[in-house]
Amino acid sequence: MKIETFKYDNRIVRAFAIATVVWGIVGMLVGMLAAVQLFFPDANLNLQFITFGRIRPLHTNAVIFAFVGNGMFMGIYYSLQRLCKARMFSDFISWFHFWGWQGIIVAAAVTLPLGLTTSKEYAELEWPIKIAIAVVWVAFTINLIGTILKRREKHMYVAIWFFLATALTVAVLHITNSMTMPAGWFKSYSMYAGVQDALVQWWYGHNAVAFFLTTPYLGLMYYFLPKAANRPIFSYRLSIIHFWALIFLYIWAGPHHLLYTALPDWAQSLGMVFSLMLIAPSWGGMLNGLLTLRGAWDKVRQDPVLKFMVVAVTAYGMSTLEGPLLAIKTVNSLSHYTDWTIAHVHTGALGWNGFLTFSMLYYLYPRLYRTTLWSTKLANYHFWIGLLGMMFYVIPIYVAGITEGLMWKQFTKDGFLQYPNFLETIVQVVPMFRLRAIGGTLYLVGTFMMAYNLYRTAKAGQFEPDTEAQAAPLEKTSAVVHGKLSWHRLLEGKPLLFTVLSLVAILIGGIVEIIPMYLIKQNVPTISSVKPYTPLEVLGRDLYIREGCLGCHSQMIRPFRSETERYGEYSKAGEFVYDHPFLWGSERKGPDLAREGGKYPDAWHYNHMDDPRATSPGSIMPRYSWLLTQKLEIDSLPARLNALRKVGVPYPAGYENGPAQKDLQAQADKVVANLKQGSVKADPDKEIVALIAYLQRLGTDIKSAPVTTAVK
Amino acid sequence: MEQKIMAGIGGIGIYGIISICIFFAFFTLTLLWAFRLKQNYLQHMEALPLDGGEKNSADSIQLKKL
Repeated sequence: MKIETFKYDNRIVRAFAIATVVWGIVGMLVGMLAAVQLFFPDANLNLQFITFGRIRPLHTNAVIFAFVGNGMFMGIYYSLQRLCKARMFSDFISWFHFWGWQGIIVAAAVTLPLGLTTSKEYAELEWPIKIAIAVVWVAFTINLIGTILKRREKHMYVAIWFFLATALTVAVLHITNSMTMPAGWFKSYSMYAGVQDALVQWWYGHNAVAFFLTTPYLGLMYYFLPKAANRPIFSYRLSIIHFWALIFLYIWAGPHHLLYTALPDWAQSLGMVFSLMLIAPSWGGMLNGLLTLRGAWDKVRQDPVLKFMVVAVTAYGMSTLEGPLLAIKTVNSLSHYTDWTIAHVHTGALGWNGFLTFSMLYYLYPRLYRTTLWSTKLANYHFWIGLLGMMFYVIPIYVAGITEGLMWKQFTKDGFLQYPNFLETIVQVVPMFRLRAIGGTLYLVGTFMMAYNLYRTAKAGQFEPDTEAQAAPLEKTSAVVHGKLSWHRLLEGKPLLFTVLSLVAILIGGIVEIIPMYLIKQNVPTISSVKPYTPLEVLGRDLYIREGCLGCHSQMIRPFRSETERYGEYSKAGEFVYDHPFLWGSERKGPDLAREGGKYPDAWHYNHMDDPRATSPGSIMPRYSWLLTQKLEIDSLPARLNALRKVGVPYPAGYENGPAQKDLQAQADKVVANLKQGSVKADPDKEIVALIAYLQRLGTDIKSAPVTTAVK
Repeated sequence: MEQKIMAGIGGIGIYGIISICIFFAFFTLTLLWAFRLKQNYLQHMEALPLDGGEKNSADSIQLKKL
């Protein structure tokens, strides 16, 4: 048989590897800055661009899409070529993908500190960048499928299945969750409102974790673990079951992010049951990885690559056990909104994604540069300092999370809240935030050690831009074997059919969640006293979004006595029908604000924003003094109201051309008059006035009138 | 068991039951498929990552010993 000689492209792998290290360090540094501000709020240097609310999304986007994203592409571009015995489909698309992705990251790094955000978690980037993401992602998918189509290996290894599922599902998720109505170049409003928006967002958010942080890395585990251990995978059968069960189940579990919220009860319970079932395929995958090392544990003692992999796979098992447990409603009632969730995600991020990325980098650099690792000793130090850093990060935050949850729910024997002042519960856990920052520092130091080690390795070796390889061309095979149709061969022989079937598997879960979303739309009990926001409140709400207030303040009171005692009447689905986007939040570093309106005078809010510690000693909230001096931008008001009308908010026709401005002025003057009563002199054209108007509106629709529910 | 749990949830209606049924049908088919695969195919697939087709394999490079 004729043997073909061809070349693997190593340049693109190296480019993604360098980007992984660089963005990893940047993302972790931003994380450190955010972590420090949680016990030392003045670390923002009173600069709005580096204040917690704005850099928290920068940190999450940087580590997910820049660090893990580049790490994923590095691993895929290396393994796919070798598994297909073919060079990438198109070098041009490879480089378009690389530079396009880096451009998106830079755009995120510029826009998020500027406060240009949609506020939807892990989907914060504004619409022009979202379109760019879709274009680059499609390019990557074409390159992926094109390479598979021109492969010289008859069978598609399971890693490739995971890569295909990733490419397809991320595209579906991204497009569905990005449906927004632009109101200018860098402002848009979600097409969905309130409950629907929350359901779509967390269907996306959950599956961003599943199909961006998990499935591609599982594919990489199935390739790099056998390579590093130099032994076949423990059970290929198990990997097949792992793949299909995982991609089928994952997509259903999104509602577990919304337990006890205004989402209908049955959708919450469906999310909980499917989350619990996820334990089985996840642990199947973990065991498949760990059992691959059976009889080779002596290698783990010596090889840092395997050490990192073992911890990564174990961390995957731990987080995929903890995740379903957190999805049990009773556990979730304690854990939700607390730092427990932060600890959970960091077990996955630092352990699973971080350590697997490090192991791939240590594996690839010596091979790309055809040399040995500069220092195995330094890599081992990195392993231990990274592991220690991870422990120092997650353990204090687990303690903080459980402490918060218990303190929020604690009643005295007379039936009153034991800690009625929210601040008491946060002050209690501030020492844990300090310890967490130490853990993060250790992890970051380890990453710097790795960067130096890889740099020295590259200096010592010689880069091989193309690796020559040989393989026989793929024979045309029939799906009919010995007169019988082989479904397996048919499926594997036709990557496009395989792709369609994977898509069907993920869409079933998606559709079952999305169809009820439309049903909810018809069945959300509307509340007649709930009215659209006034023009000044719309602008105030947009400032709330710009500053990332929802990073610390939820707007969703759950139906527990501990919450209704503290915050007031629990939140109803009908209260959010004009909320584009929803702002329920997922974390409480400060109290819930769903019923904030009317709790404090306007002047209190003014002074609180100027210096939170003046009104609330010990508060960890940053100062927002720039809101007192910056002029409110009202030129875009017509575009904003127009966009909101297009997504369903019933502003009268022509309202934005004159009447809205008059209403805005009148309400601003009223806020200024209220401030004067509180001995505060303010101009009506400042941002703080709009923000106060919005905060004073929160939850008042229900307070102001008797609740009358009606079904549309 | 899941059907019983789901049936006890107020208002879950037909969605939950259909969801579980689809999953179990899907899962059973996957199991059947996986267990019908031939041993020589499985062995070939398990070993697939180990041969990348490189002429001069970089995998011969050993990491430095401590």
